[in-house]
Amino acid sequence: MGTAIKKGKLHVVTLTVNGEEHAVLVKANTTLLDLLREEFDYTGTKKGCELGDCGACTVLMDDRPVNSCLVLAVEADGHSFTTIEGVEQGGKLDRLQEEFINQAAVQCGYCSPGMILSGKALLMRNPHPTEREVREAIGGNLCRCTGYVRIVKAILAAAEANS
Amino acid sequence: MSEATTKEFSVIGKSVPKIDARDKVTGRAKYTGDLKVTGMLVGKILRSPHAHARILSIDTSKAEQLPGVEAVITAKDVPSTFYGMSPARYDETILAIEKVLQVGDKVAAVAAVDEETAVKALSLIDVEYEVLPAVLDPLRAMDEDQPQIHPQYKRNISVEIHQDFGDVEMAFQQSHLVRTDRFQGNRATHVPMEPHAAISKWENGKLTIWSSTQSPHYFQYHIARVFGLKMGDVRVIKPTVGGGFGGKLEPSAAEYVSAALAMKTGRPVKIVFDRKEVFFHNRGRHAQYIELTTGVTKEGKILGVHGKYIIDGGSYTGLGIASAYYAGAMLPLIYEFDHFKFDCFRVHTNLPSCAAQRGHGAPQPRFAFESQLDMIAKELGMDPIEIRKVNARRPNTMTLNDLKVNSCEFMACLEKAREISDWGGKKGKLPPGQGIGIGCGGFITGAGYPIYRTRLPHAAAIVKVSEQGDIATLYIGAVDIGQGSDTILAQMAAEAIGINYEDMRIVSADTETTPHDFGAYASRQTLMSGHAVKQAGEEVRRQIIELAAELLEASVADLDIDRRVIFVKGSPEKMLSFETVANEFFIRKGPLMGRGSYTPPKLGGKFKGAAVGTSPAYSFAAQISQVEVDEETGQVMVTNVWDVHDCGTVINPNLLHAQVEGALFMGMGEAMYEQVVFDDKGRPLNANLGEYRVPTALDVPQVISELVDSYEPAGPWGVKEVGEGATLPTMGSYANAIYDAIGVRLYDLPLTPEKVWRAIHERKKPS
Amino acid sequence: MIIPEFEYVTPQSVQEACALLVQYGDSARVLAGGSDLLVKMKDGLMKPAYLVSLKNLDSLKAIRYETGTGVIIGARATHNEVMNNRLLREKYRSVCEAAHSMAADQIRNIGTVGGNLVNAVPSADLPPILIALDARARIVGTSGERTISLEDFFLGPGKTVLEKGEILAEIIIPDQPTTGSNYIKFGLRRAGALAVAGVASSVTVSDGTCRDVRVVLGAVAPTPMRARQAENVLRGKKISRELIDEAGRIAAAESKPINDIRGSIEYRRNLVNVLTRRSLKAAIEKGHI
Repeated sequence: MGTAIKKGKLHVVTLTVNGEEHAVLVKANTTLLDLLREEFDYTGTKKGCELGDCGACTVLMDDRPVNSCLVLAVEADGHSFTTIEGVEQGGKLDRLQEEFINQAAVQCGYCSPGMILSGKALLMRNPHPTEREVREAIGGNLCRCTGYVRIVKAILAAAEANS
Repeated sequence: MSEATTKEFSVIGKSVPKIDARDKVTGRAKYTGDLKVTGMLVGKILRSPHAHARILSIDTSKAEQLPGVEAVITAKDVPSTFYGMSPARYDETILAIEKVLQVGDKVAAVAAVDEETAVKALSLIDVEYEVLPAVLDPLRAMDEDQPQIHPQYKRNISVEIHQDFGDVEMAFQQSHLVRTDRFQGNRATHVPMEPHAAISKWENGKLTIWSSTQSPHYFQYHIARVFGLKMGDVRVIKPTVGGGFGGKLEPSAAEYVSAALAMKTGRPVKIVFDRKEVFFHNRGRHAQYIELTTGVTKEGKILGVHGKYIIDGGSYTGLGIASAYYAGAMLPLIYEFDHFKFDCFRVHTNLPSCAAQRGHGAPQPRFAFESQLDMIAKELGMDPIEIRKVNARRPNTMTLNDLKVNSCEFMACLEKAREISDWGGKKGKLPPGQGIGIGCGGFITGAGYPIYRTRLPHAAAIVKVSEQGDIATLYIGAVDIGQGSDTILAQMAAEAIGINYEDMRIVSADTETTPHDFGAYASRQTLMSGHAVKQAGEEVRRQIIELAAELLEASVADLDIDRRVIFVKGSPEKMLSFETVANEFFIRKGPLMGRGSYTPPKLGGKFKGAAVGTSPAYSFAAQISQVEVDEETGQVMVTNVWDVHDCGTVINPNLLHAQVEGALFMGMGEAMYEQVVFDDKGRPLNANLGEYRVPTALDVPQVISELVDSYEPAGPWGVKEVGEGATLPTMGSYANAIYDAIGVRLYDLPLTPEKVWRAIHERKKPS
Repeated sequence: MIIPEFEYVTPQSVQEACALLVQYGDSARVLAGGSDLLVKMKDGLMKPAYLVSLKNLDSLKAIRYETGTGVIIGARATHNEVMNNRLLREKYRSVCEAAHSMAADQIRNIGTVGGNLVNAVPSADLPPILIALDARARIVGTSGERTISLEDFFLGPGKTVLEKGEILAEIIIPDQPTTGSNYIKFGLRRAGALAVAGVASSVTVSDGTCRDVRVVLGAVAPTPMRARQAENVLRGKKISRELIDEAGRIAAAESKPINDIRGSIEYRRNLVNVLTRRSLKAAIEKGHI
């Protein structure tokens, strides 16, 4: 929020982001997306359309992908979130991130955080997905650069590494 | 035999990981909207609700009084300099002065402490409009009774082109078969996942702009011009960019308005478009209404072509003037014929402006030509690939519009596409409702002339080796918008110098610190920036070898560098490490640097518009697609696409195929899914990503991307373009495959299920 | 984009929620998942002064079976929870498939069944299959509760029978003799697309005879609609290809589509014809899928 003065009624929100618990004061009309980007500086979560159509703002809410542009910060209270910044652990890339690099699945990169989180959620609940299941899992993540070809390859490659 | 196959390269030709991939997969990469500058304000633009209206008055007093608002501006507060991309068509201002020319036109702007305050302030600005009748139908825009949009463009004609080569009438008279067909293209748009964004800072008479831009140079040039600043006082910096596709080649209101607000407030101002504003700014694909007449001999040899076009330019011209020329210039590229007439009207309408989008004016004409060629083949009883082989351009030829083609492996593309798709086993042999079709294309590798008249080289590069000799930094103006230019130019630098890719660092696209480059458009950077980089790297190599020769007491001619080792050819034990020599160089002589620049040769003919279409090299491609049509619903499932490209030497195979896959995907979207639509008041009905349908991961076919052996003498190491060429064949390929599947021809993009169903319906009616 | 400011309240019980809705009247909206409401607020189409959040009302989340009643789906169940629910997959997989066809994964993790029904968008994917399965809606208000047929729940685009202070609490799929059901959606891309037309059907078949049938059309009328004349073609008759074809034709004629950016009247009628045939065939041959 920068130098903005938060005027109006504020609500306390307690939430866990990337393993860290936070308590913040927010206005009711603040989205989770803005909270992550402005308050926590987690700018890896992107604004693509703000209306839930593109998936660039995807984060994991209790391990399930959601569009953070359509989650109010006040509704996020009590929940646990993973953003792209929380995917690598201790400076070590997740296998999925490595495959995105290896398979050249990243071009402009704007859809990549959302894609990776959707892919990660899929592999957590289904370690050996079919190609169709991979495409379903990223059906709500739009990409304009890749035609999805190498993104699908990367997620399947990461799944294979699981076996 | 191409040089590429005779020599194994050390760095180029390898699918090294992208230099910025790690930052992008971890969320560390910073795009313009992610940046924060101390004291930054948020800027928001008030946009017109009317397609065409006179501005009678604007009352900003209530907005100014809102706490947290630092500035409110209208046209009177900003320079009234007209701008655009071509001096012949400067017709746009920062904020609308007398009239608004489209829904979404820029009327006023505010800078406030946060977004919420800025949006509230916009709602407090009172604008009185006199609504005027709007021009919404490009086919009627030139009629006498239509409102005049710009005072200087009579009958709303933005660009009028008449080009005449040879004698088409005579060609048609000599033809065995002449066909005239009409095609209708769709108004599409780029949809970069990252909306336009800019942060402007005004300090001590100097403007710094961070911008999601495809060309810091063009932005610097135009912004300086409009604000009356010298270019050296305008610094444009490109952070990570989330896609451009041609839509970020012109400075937008994000740059102009944020700069104006920064000057007014003395504080940095950030403007990020929301998705709707991206649709308002647009600068996307012109809808082209094409009447194409082609005459052929009995053997299918094309004798003459006449193209008559009306293209919808929207409200302002911007780069759209070039699109109109490209629509004709590329048509004689891939097939050889001597007679061509091109008549084109680019008209203004009160709709968002159209300009450059991947393939720049050429995809829809390609759709028309490829569709018609198939129809001609059918009438002659020829196989679609055969008729293309009869006409395929050959290397080292000149087109009728004076485009010089060096390498050309189009024939090989056709043959390979036929083979890998099993065309012979499928054409005419698939079950009903399934079909296979071919579309072809070719595109420039960089434009022969820049967008404004200048003698500046097109690209430049500096390499600086570190004092320890362990790394080298490449300074380039070239712009990575996701296509990977940073990566492949780093590869080229490493190859030219003789070190490893991992030793390269890169600083790019900052007008104050990096050398000049025109930017990412017209698929120019691999060849043009690549030349400059190669030259700079080779200068470093030369200086290293000279010193090493001294140190090794050998002659320069006997030395070579590979992967950080300088050695005597034939006596590899006589060697020195790159580090040692570079370090010694610095000690003795100071900074070890190399410089390079590139200007294309003087190209093109003397006729009006001859510059457009010129290029040092051209890519070629053949694309075959296989479809399954559900005849009851008209739904078309594209099951497979095979693309075969002639793009010269490959610097990074993964990135190259990634570009083909992406370009093909965009072609697919425009071919079947995408269209911007408006109501009868010029208001967009689908300025969002729910109803403007970009295909999802579930909609795309299996793609097989292959190459043919090719070497382009005009390109460093033989390279050519690939980023745009694959967009061109797709629409024709699908239309032809659908015809093969259901026996009906569609002339009108996008090829939606409803249109397919209607066509089938018509076919079934007793005549 | 900005969401206009509002007062945010979080009642602890369904009754408290209803009371608040009465108190605030027209200036309040219920916040369930928010995937529809927040979009409308960002687009400037709605500016409620109060949002009454259901987030503490855990009783509305469950999907369970109650002997003597049937399957009960809490209004706060998300589309993915419906899609993945074991009980529903066993008994009425068609409902899971319909939930699956909505939007995309991210939206399905937020958007609730109740929200989807109350929004009453003519092209919604769940209402047709639920109506085909004779679903009931249990509505709770300050003065008590009522259970009505879901078919009677919708009044028009964006309009339902909910009165001031009422909340949709549960959807009940009653135990029933149906032997099969199915929903087919036609959208303009394979994810993230509204139905251009959608058809759900349910059948009760024995000895090759269609004892009972329901055909419910979506996106081709102001509300989801029963194609009763099409049903009459089949009801009580021996099933044949010709009858199914006729049912399709009649359903198309009964439908009331409009022209919009997704499709024309004529094309939508054609889709109703085709989808009705295909839906009936699947319901007859494959059970509740």
